[in-house]
Amino acid sequence: MRPENYEAQRQPPSHEYELNIGPNHPGIEGNYAFKLRLHGDRVLEGKADAGYLHRGFEKLMEGRLWIQNLAITPRICVPDPVPMEVSYCLAVEELCGLEIPERAQWLRVLQLELSRIAAHLFTFGGHAATTGMYSPMFWGIADRDLVLDLFEELTGGRVYHIYNIPGGVRRDAPDGFLDRVRSTLDYLDSRLPDYDNLLFTNQVFVHRAKGVGTMSREQALEWGVTGPNLRATGLEFDVRRDDPYLVYDDLDFDIPTEEAGDAWARTLVRRKELVQSIRIARQVIAALPSIAGPIRCPIPNPLAWNVPAGSVYTRVESSKGELAWYVVSNGGERPYRTHVRGPSQMHAVQVLEKLSVGCRLEDVAQTMFSLDACPPEVDR
Amino acid sequence: MTELIKTPRTGETLPVKAGKRTNPLANVFDELVRFAQSRSLFMLHYCTGCGAIELPPSMTSRFDMERLGIQPMVSPRQADILLVTGYVSVKTLKRIILTYEQMGSPKYVIGICSCTVNGGMYWQSYATAKKLNDYMPVDIYIAGCMPRPEAVIAGLRELMENIRQGKADSWKDYYRHYDHYLGHQQRLFGETWQTPTDVIAEARHYGLFGPDTLGTHTALLEQHQRPLEALEMKVDIPELMARR
Repeated sequence: MRPENYEAQRQPPSHEYELNIGPNHPGIEGNYAFKLRLHGDRVLEGKADAGYLHRGFEKLMEGRLWIQNLAITPRICVPDPVPMEVSYCLAVEELCGLEIPERAQWLRVLQLELSRIAAHLFTFGGHAATTGMYSPMFWGIADRDLVLDLFEELTGGRVYHIYNIPGGVRRDAPDGFLDRVRSTLDYLDSRLPDYDNLLFTNQVFVHRAKGVGTMSREQALEWGVTGPNLRATGLEFDVRRDDPYLVYDDLDFDIPTEEAGDAWARTLVRRKELVQSIRIARQVIAALPSIAGPIRCPIPNPLAWNVPAGSVYTRVESSKGELAWYVVSNGGERPYRTHVRGPSQMHAVQVLEKLSVGCRLEDVAQTMFSLDACPPEVDR
Repeated sequence: MTELIKTPRTGETLPVKAGKRTNPLANVFDELVRFAQSRSLFMLHYCTGCGAIELPPSMTSRFDMERLGIQPMVSPRQADILLVTGYVSVKTLKRIILTYEQMGSPKYVIGICSCTVNGGMYWQSYATAKKLNDYMPVDIYIAGCMPRPEAVIAGLRELMENIRQGKADSWKDYYRHYDHYLGHQQRLFGETWQTPTDVIAEARHYGLFGPDTLGTHTALLEQHQRPLEALEMKVDIPELMARR
């Protein structure tokens, strides 16, 4: 170490100190940093430090063809990539006025719900690990792998499956695929009581998570919170029901809510959403065999595709919250401007900064994981 | 044979005896040590990009990296492997270099995902560094977007085999060609770029001081070094009491 490279800052003597969490820290959710000012183990101020994962998506997309952009859209949010591509496809279809075949819509719903299950299983593990319990992480990731196997069979990719294309999906479900989805869903359903015993009714977890990072409904609405975090404050809002896309208005599902608005409530909402996602996926499996027809409508030559001028805003419900694309076309073969509204940006930056004030040092990581923020989506 | 070596901190010159290997069992010991090293690897738990999402499956029940003797480690000081999982933005690259220099030798770098090889999906992005090899020596590249857990484990096994055979010595390159790597770093971060680790002194310490260790870029390092100010503690006790 060369001490001359560090300039010690002279500060008045005080009981307060600063602490950096991240970017290289096991308690942080990815490549992301959080600076704390503490008194003892009480947090006086939290400051988010993002930008470690900035790739300049919105600029990159302006330089690529409409069809080329499909390849980079799922990379925005790594644990839950499907809503990104579906939402982008919906935007392009709306600009072109394409009519998506019904079978493709059902396949998209199946894919979206499986992705939600995988993302929630991944989140539980991380959240449990911040409270010192590592078994749920091993279980959750092992069960998530079963869902990834289904994705691999359907799309060819484990994590990134560029399966959607403007106008439909790339290929039909292989023979016997729906049976395998059904048996995986049955298995996941049978695992839920085990998860309850291990995590959700575990007194270690309940005592640690209750009352941590509480926000009221008014605060949540003011700060732009969406998704399970908003539903944990008691507001029954879900894009799937309130602004239905694809075939969600034909499906039968509930919107689970909790009243408390703390880390415990947020986790419970996700636990209940797993049940609903399994329920939706089962309805899709039951309906798919009776829906015949093409999986893709004809599109122009994708390498010379001039999308009509206009601007659209399409939103879907991802596992993190409301995810939207704002796409502007000037009639050219590349987007004129794209903007993605990622839910994690609100959750990881402004909400986390406010919720961490007054919280104890050991609960900061838990607050972040309970908000289910996804750093690649914060920076983009 | 003795050599005069200047110590970095105090500036005095000390005679150091160059070791001569007289033990007939030295090669046997070397092989044993290398085998032991290859079977107990701690990898740094720093998830730099999207490839990090395939690490939890490789570490946990299904693919189970731990059966190979590979475990995550939270601190760079005790870690052997630095995994660079995916695209590296300029802000992250600074932290990666600081982390890499803090790790104790021997250290190994694995570049996972295509982005570390040539920029991958973000080859035209204004925010990412394209070739990781320009900034630090890389032992193994695992290409793919993103590589499956089997590929990650295959890459790690190849690294283990290289360590066992004594071929994984890219960390020596960093000392021998420090000027080259520093030049690339300065091109990205500006010529005032400094790291707190004294790489040149470490190169002397390990006996890896080569003709390319010093050069035009390390000269800039000296030039932009901040002068050391004497620190003095000033505690104003009456003021402290008043604050209480």
